[in-house]
Amino acid sequence: MGEAIVITSGKGGVGKTTTTANLGTALALQGKKVCLVDTDIGLRNLDLVLGLDNRIIYDLVDVVEGRCKIHQALVKDKRVDDKLFLLPAAQTTDKNAVTPEQMKSLIEELKREFEYVLIDCPAGIEQGYRNAVAGADSAIVVTTPEISAVRDADRIIGLLEQEQIDPPKLIINRVRKDLMNQGDAMDINEITTHLSIDLLGIIIDCEDVIASSNKGEPIVMDPNNKASLGYRNIARRILGESVPLMTLEEQHKGVFRKLISIFSK
Amino acid sequence: MKKQLVHMKGTKDGLVLRLDDQCAYAELVEELEKKVSEGGIDGRVNVSLDIGYRYLLEHQKQEIIKIIEQPGKMVVSKVFSNVITVDENNAKIKENQCDTYVGIVRSGQVIQAPGDIIIVGDVNPNGKIEAGGNIFVLGKLKGIAHAGIDGNREAIVAASWFEPTHVYIADVIEVMSNEKPIIKEHAEQLFAYINKNGNISYDRLQEVRNIRPLLNTKGGS
Repeated sequence: MGEAIVITSGKGGVGKTTTTANLGTALALQGKKVCLVDTDIGLRNLDLVLGLDNRIIYDLVDVVEGRCKIHQALVKDKRVDDKLFLLPAAQTTDKNAVTPEQMKSLIEELKREFEYVLIDCPAGIEQGYRNAVAGADSAIVVTTPEISAVRDADRIIGLLEQEQIDPPKLIINRVRKDLMNQGDAMDINEITTHLSIDLLGIIIDCEDVIASSNKGEPIVMDPNNKASLGYRNIARRILGESVPLMTLEEQHKGVFRKLISIFSK
Repeated sequence: MKKQLVHMKGTKDGLVLRLDDQCAYAELVEELEKKVSEGGIDGRVNVSLDIGYRYLLEHQKQEIIKIIEQPGKMVVSKVFSNVITVDENNAKIKENQCDTYVGIVRSGQVIQAPGDIIIVGDVNPNGKIEAGGNIFVLGKLKGIAHAGIDGNREAIVAASWFEPTHVYIADVIEVMSNEKPIIKEHAEQLFAYINKNGNISYDRLQEVRNIRPLLNTKGGS
């Protein structure tokens, strides 16, 4: 029996879909069998970020309404051999096409076959959110160091605490050390004490993430990227390893320090 | 001789009108009417009414006060009674009870209490506490607090970190802005109360015992 994790944020545009795609790929790279479920019915994106959009035949609503078997709708990602699957959302209808009970039984079915089921939640706290949370065993809240994103994360954590699931964990996305040092953005400590939930990891802001999303290749495929490392670390933490938090200072080594570190080797 | 049902007595706090609590209500009314019409008082005086162990319904109470005040000689300033109903008692207990909420009050959540409430945790922005009595926050108060929601103007809002966006006490509203120097300088251990002018004021937690001495229910040695 696998574990179903919902990835949510309340606010839109903080990187839920990117996080789902990258965490799923990272878990699959670690050898786990992973299924990604896009519950953003009517505004599906997860297939694009994974580069699987042209291979969709059936979708989530087709499965729920019995037009196809679940395995017919699953799209396999060939880059990660037989480990990563996507259940795409429908594009032609809206969130009310599915009920929380239907989602729950769907996720139950997927959990029997997969070790991890990652549910990509739509923005907002309405029907789409309730559908996404219905089948989940635990939750990951994604936020960015912006006051509006943190406020919405606070609201969503309050709602998640009323559900019968494990306490939610936090991912801080698009971390920019320069802004935090200047005091122009909330720092990691401030965000975690304000929200007071466990920090699962941070993702450093990086333009390559956007570029790779546009290409349909999750950034975790690139082992040398800072953001990619963040996602890989989070995947390892989900698997139960204890990985220390990335130090932010390193990325700002001056030339002089770099020289010292080269000579001291 | 028939037992006197209405006693009038002068004490150092003024005139006390003591009504017998064993006789029938109709008898009492009759004698009271007689007594107050006797006169013998110059000008208007304040009297306190002591009704002992008799339970008077609200309309009976009003009737008696009306009888006393009818001749225009006496004004009832206070009514003493030794009995209250179970409902009144329960309401009192509720008002005086202190609820404890352990956890964080997050954005969009509302925590309500009939009496006092202690929050063991933070109140985040857009989180709201509504209490019939006082509000005490052991963590950071960064949201909205409404104390004395049923109209108790004596209620206070106290927090170990006092940084709310709005404070309401009874019917008084205060929008917190950066112009409040005391809060801007140090938000630690403050409380809000309604001052003598009817506005919300703030002071250090140490001042509570001077400003609201009745809050203290426990003696210390």
